[in-house]
Amino acid sequence: MNTFRIARTALRVRPATVRAPLQRRGYAEAVSDKIKLSLALPHQSVYKSTDVVQVNIPAESGEMGVLANHVPSIEQLKPGLVEVIEESGGSKQFFLSGGFAIVQPNSELSINAVEGYPLEDFSAEAVRSQIAEAQKIASGSGSEQDIAEAKIELEVLESLQAALK
Amino acid sequence: MAFAWKASGLTYNKYLSVAARTVRRSLKDDKRLAAERRGDMELRFAKWTNGKQGENKSLADANAASMAEAGSQSSS
Repeated sequence: MNTFRIARTALRVRPATVRAPLQRRGYAEAVSDKIKLSLALPHQSVYKSTDVVQVNIPAESGEMGVLANHVPSIEQLKPGLVEVIEESGGSKQFFLSGGFAIVQPNSELSINAVEGYPLEDFSAEAVRSQIAEAQKIASGSGSEQDIAEAKIELEVLESLQAALK
Repeated sequence: MAFAWKASGLTYNKYLSVAARTVRRSLKDDKRLAAERRGDMELRFAKWTNGKQGENKSLADANAASMAEAGSQSSS
């Protein structure tokens, strides 16, 4: 009985010792200071599991910067500016209309939004004229829903105007 | 977290669509024309009862009506 047990443990031990050198090599490769970013819109994926250094996101709970090995979390995004610092050192800025950012345990960050464009695609002129229009509706005598919509528009436009400066 | 639009009966989906519409309208002209088509929605629906098709309604109008109802309930 006893010898049988020893034989079984010996069987179990051997594959592990054979695999050990391989595991060590894998560990050295796995250490990375980059975070894999996926930035997806319903009609386009801007980043697809791309290695980046840092991503700054406008969460409802406050602005946050996400680096590699960040604590896993799910954040609701405000309409605002997402800044991506790429491997080459350059940074790109996108204005997103609001959505969710999910930090996954294995240094992966997924950002989902309805609309998102690089900052240079926006027209300051269009933002200004829309702010004037939305303010008129927000302080007017429309239905409660129209006023709420105008206030959402103002939130987006003011964030956009601050980003464009 | 309390959101002002929630008190008016608006859903999160509606909030997102309004925010996205605003972003699309703020683009430079060439990009805006291509993007604004994405905001169009013309879904219609009808309720069937006893094998007969009911009234054909626009989904956007029905959603607006239900949100107005939700808003008046929460404020009263």
